Amino acid sequence: MPFGVPEAEGNAVTNHKIREGKEKMKKMMKIASMVAALAMVLSGAAFSAETIKVGHLADLTGPTGDVGKPYAEGVQAYKNYINAHGGINGKQIEMQMFDYAYDKNKAVNQYKKYKEDKVVVIEGWGTGDTEALTGFVNIDKIPYISASYSAHLTDAKKTPYNFFCAADYTTALRAGLKYLKDDWKEKRAPKIVFIYPNHPYGIAPIKGGKEYAKELGFEILGDENVDLKAIEANSQLLSVKNKGADFAWIGGTTNSTAVILKDAKKLGLKTKFFSNIWGIDESTPKLAGGAEEGALVMAGSARYGDKVPGMTLLTSVEKTPQVTHYIRGWVSMMVLVEALKRADKKGPITGETVKAALETFKDYDTGGLTPAKITFTSTDHRPFTSVNVMEMQKGKLVIKKTMDLPRKAEWLGL
Amino acid sequence: MHYCGDFRTTYEKDIEILQTPTTRFGVAAFLAFLVVFPFLVKGEYLWVGLQILIAVIGAVGLNILTGYTGQISLGQGAFFGVGAYTTAYITAKMGLSFWVGVPAAGLVTAAAGMVFGIPSLRLKGLYLAIATLASQFILEWVFLRWEPVTGGSFGIIVPRPSIGGYVFDTDRSYYYLVLAITVVMVLFAVNIVRTRTGRAFMAIRDHYISAEIMGINLFRYRILSFGISSFYAGVAGALLGHSLKFVTSEQFNLGLSVTYLAMIIIGGLGSILGSIYGAVFMILLPKILTVLTGKLTLLIPGAAGLAIAMEQGVFGIIIILFLIFEPDGLAHRWKMIKAYWKLYPFSY
Repeated sequence: MPFGVPEAEGNAVTNHKIREGKEKMKKMMKIASMVAALAMVLSGAAFSAETIKVGHLADLTGPTGDVGKPYAEGVQAYKNYINAHGGINGKQIEMQMFDYAYDKNKAVNQYKKYKEDKVVVIEGWGTGDTEALTGFVNIDKIPYISASYSAHLTDAKKTPYNFFCAADYTTALRAGLKYLKDDWKEKRAPKIVFIYPNHPYGIAPIKGGKEYAKELGFEILGDENVDLKAIEANSQLLSVKNKGADFAWIGGTTNSTAVILKDAKKLGLKTKFFSNIWGIDESTPKLAGGAEEGALVMAGSARYGDKVPGMTLLTSVEKTPQVTHYIRGWVSMMVLVEALKRADKKGPITGETVKAALETFKDYDTGGLTPAKITFTSTDHRPFTSVNVMEMQKGKLVIKKTMDLPRKAEWLGL
Repeated sequence: MHYCGDFRTTYEKDIEILQTPTTRFGVAAFLAFLVVFPFLVKGEYLWVGLQILIAVIGAVGLNILTGYTGQISLGQGAFFGVGAYTTAYITAKMGLSFWVGVPAAGLVTAAAGMVFGIPSLRLKGLYLAIATLASQFILEWVFLRWEPVTGGSFGIIVPRPSIGGYVFDTDRSYYYLVLAITVVMVLFAVNIVRTRTGRAFMAIRDHYISAEIMGINLFRYRILSFGISSFYAGVAGALLGHSLKFVTSEQFNLGLSVTYLAMIIIGGLGSILGSIYGAVFMILLPKILTVLTGKLTLLIPGAAGLAIAMEQGVFGIIIILFLIFEPDGLAHRWKMIKAYWKLYPFSY
C-alpha cells in the first residue's frame, strides 16, 4: 500500500474525511493556543549578577547513565560547594546541567545554545559528545573537559582545547601490562589476549598497548571482539581458553565486562583479567555475581573514604558512599575551578584564558584523589601517567599499587 | 479568470512542476522564508535549520531508491559515512578544496552504492533490506579499521569550505551554501522522476515483471537507482561532515539509516515533497520534545528525570500514532488540506 499510486481526489470518502478534519483542526487550534500561552508564562528570563557561565553536558538517562549520573553529581556537588563558599573570587559559577542522554544530536544542539549564551568552558562526558564536539570546541576556543580519556585528545597540536583528568586509556593499558609483567615469576613469556568492542572507545588503546606489550616481552595471542551490548561471550572466551592465555585485557564497560567475567568463570578459565577504567567499578559484584574475584581495574582515582587529604572535604559534603566515577567528576570540577581562579586573577575570563590557565598547571595537588599530581603544558595534555591498580577482593575494590609510568614524548596522542 | 478546476490543454502544462499561481506563490514565499531564516534565529535553531537542509538531501536520495524504485535500503547511514570520509580525506589529508571534495564524495558514494546494490538484482523486499544491512556493517567496520584513510578510532578534523579568501566559517554563511546545494539537488530529483528514467523506476516499483516485459532493463535501472540515491547520501554526508568540522565513525551507525527510512515513511514514500516534510518532522520533533521537557522540568522539578527518560518513549508513540492515522505520509495530509481549502466553504 505505501508503494501505491495516490488515490484520485474529490470522491465522497475524501470529503467526509475533510469534514472530520475541520472539526479536529478547531480542537487542535484550541490546544495549540493553550500550549503557547503556557510556554510564554514559563519562559521568564532569570536575572543574574556577575557570574561565570559554564556548560555541563551529562548523561543521566541514556545508555551510559549508570556511570554518567554519579560522575555528573560529583561535578555538580563540587560546583555547589564552591558557589556556597565564595565562588570564583566572589563570582558565582552559573552551570546548568543538561542531560543529553548520549544522543550526539542533542549534544550538538545544546552546544550551539551554550555558544549563543557565551559559556567560557564546558564540562563534558563520554566518547559520544566529546567526539561530536571536537571539531567545534577547537575552532570556537572553548575548553572541553571530558570523561572520555582517549589518548588522541592529549595531543595539543591536534586538539588544543580538549582536557581530562585521568590517565588516558592507552596509558592505563600500559600501566596494567607493566604491573602484570613486574609480577610475572615464570621463565616463559606471559601470553595475553585483548578483548574489546568494535567501537572507537575499545579500539583506541589497542595499538599503543600492543606495541608496549611486545616491548615488555609478552606473547600476543590475538584479539577477541565482545560488543558493549553483549549478553554472552562464550565463543570468544572458549577461544581465549584454547589459546591458553595467562592474561586478558578487557576494554569494555561494566555490563560487557561482567558478561565476560561470568562466562570466563563458567568455562573455568585460569586467565587473569584486567580491565580499563570503565570496565569494573563498585557495581561489578552485583553484575558479575562473584565471578569478578581477582579481576583488576586501572582506576583513575582514590576510593570513597580513603585516607587522603582531599577526601576530608568530599566526605563532609557528600555523606553517602559514592563510586569512583563520582570522585573523578569531583576532581574534574576541582581542576576547572582552579583554572577559573587562575584565569580570573590575570584578567577577563574567556575560553582562551581558561585554556592558558589550565596549561599553567604544574604538579597541581588534588589531595590524593588522583593517582598523581596534575600537569598540563601547551603541547601535552596528559594530566599524569599514573594509575591506581585495584583488585576485586570479596566484592570490594582493593588498591594493589599505584603504577607510575614515564611521560614519554613518543607516547603522546597514541 | 480562474476556472473551477484545473484544465490542462497541452502536455507541457500537464508536467509543469508548479501548476497553479497559488503554488507558484507558495513556493516563492517559502524560498524567501528560507533565505531570511538565518536572520530570524541564531545559535541553536540556526543549527537545527542547517541540519534539516542536509537531512532533506539524504531523505530525497533515499526516497528515489525506496519510494520510487521500491528498493528498501538500510545502508543510507553508512553511505553518508562514505561521503563524509571521502571529503574529509580529500580536504583534510590531501589539502584539496571543498569544491572538489563534495562532488567527489557524491561520486565515490555512488560507486559504493552501486556495488552494494548488486544484490538487488536477485533480492527484493525484506531480503534486500537485510543485504543492505550488511553494507552498513561492512562500511562501519571499514571506517573504524582503515586507519591511514579514515583516522581509525579518532576520526578526521575537517575544515569548513572557502572560496577565494572567504571562509564559510559561521553557521549562517554555511547555511546559505547548503541551502543552494539543497535547492539544486531537490530540483534535480523532481526532474528525474518526470523523465524516462524516473518512469522506469516507478514501473519497476509497481511490477517488476511487467516492467521487464515492457523492455526496461531491470539490472541497469536498479543499479542506477542505487547510484543516484547514494550520490545524494554522499553529498549530504559530506555537507554534514563539514558542518560538524569533524568526521568519526560514531556518526554513521544503523540508527542514522533507520532515521532516514523513518523520514521518508512519515513524509510519504514516492514523493519528493514528502521527503522534505519527513526530514523537517524527524529533526524538529526531538528538538520540540526537548524544549517541552525543559519547560515541564521547570514546572514540576521532581519530574525532571522521568520527563527526560520519557522523551524517547513519547517520540516513539508519536511516530506510531502517525503511521496509524496518516499511513500515506505528511505529503498526503498536505494534499488533503489543499483540497479542503480549494473547495472552501462549499465542500459538498
